[in-house]
Amino acid sequence: MNNDCRHVRVAIGGDPHALPPEVTAHIATCAACRQFHEETLSLDGRLRAALELPLTKFRRPAPPARRFAMAASVALAILAGAGVWLFRPQPALAEEVVEHVRHEGGSWGMQEVLPAARIAEVLAKAGVAFDTSMPVVYASACPFHGRRVPHLVVQTADGPMTVMLLAHEKVSERQKFSEDGYQGMLLPAGEGSIAVLARGGEVPDAVAANLVSGVRW
Amino acid sequence: MNARPRGTTGGSPFARLLEMLRPDLVRFAYWLARDRAVAEDVVQETLIRAWKSREELKDQAAARPWLFTIVRREHARLFERKRLPTVDVDQVEALGDPALASDGDAGLEDLRRAIMQLPDEYREPLVMQVLGGLTTTEIGTELGLTQAAVLTRLFRARNRLRVIYGLAAAEDADE
Repeated sequence: MNNDCRHVRVAIGGDPHALPPEVTAHIATCAACRQFHEETLSLDGRLRAALELPLTKFRRPAPPARRFAMAASVALAILAGAGVWLFRPQPALAEEVVEHVRHEGGSWGMQEVLPAARIAEVLAKAGVAFDTSMPVVYASACPFHGRRVPHLVVQTADGPMTVMLLAHEKVSERQKFSEDGYQGMLLPAGEGSIAVLARGGEVPDAVAANLVSGVRW
Repeated sequence: MNARPRGTTGGSPFARLLEMLRPDLVRFAYWLARDRAVAEDVVQETLIRAWKSREELKDQAAARPWLFTIVRREHARLFERKRLPTVDVDQVEALGDPALASDGDAGLEDLRRAIMQLPDEYREPLVMQVLGGLTTTEIGTELGLTQAAVLTRLFRARNRLRVIYGLAAAEDADE
């Protein structure tokens, strides 16, 4: 490894999502540094998941003085929970994603990897930054809930997967769903979320981590 | 302080923004303080201060880094004011803090413990970047470091975690 590679790796390790042009140019010609970049992006997906601590396990037992207040809170929470269960916005979101994808069924058959400029154009329309090592074979800025969202199809080792980058849809935790022959996941990603759909198998965790680590709203 | 700061609940867009970002603020405070009770206190103080200073936030898109910097300053202020004892990282581990637990994903739990064991100078910018979404320039401004120094710290933090993740560590250009 030469000095260029050492400095490129410091830049990648410093911020794998915002590489200076000279670093991008280097990894385009250096397989070892390209692999280092991909590994770092993958690590960042896990890092983000690790930093998102489970707040349900976070609270300490309340002191006795707060128990009456807590009892009322629990009753309210049960009522609120019943309402949440009845209306269940996130399964509804999953259904809407599936419905949207079903209307663009031709997107699954795309084979040709899109040029970076085409992908950048779609992302720019939605105001989203997305960096992935997976080949993108379909990209469209689709109307969804009154906004433009990137609808992508990426090729993975497990086949094509549809990815929708939902900057304005917050989900509280990772949710798997199975709908109309699609297996999918809703993934929390900062202030937004990502919907991923596969056909014929579940979305692998590594793919989910790669996607989450690559998005910036 | 257990009471919810008055004024941060309700229907205003700013109140909703605070509610939305609160979970990540608690997480960030925990990664700084390594103590759940202190983290909750820091976030309560942060929300009160943010509410009082809400006119300073001109662009809601910048709310996240803005709130993260308030958490960091409140954390420092709390330690200064109350002279809290620093938390021994080995003790946190030994307690098996459930905040670090992960259902059925031992790798994630190992990674959390590894992050917890990073020196403050590496852990803090890493959490600010990955969880807070701060740019290296913003982190440099907050920590009083050059951008190059921030990049080096972030590289070294990730380099230590690569090994836990089963990857080879990179050569450090300056070591």
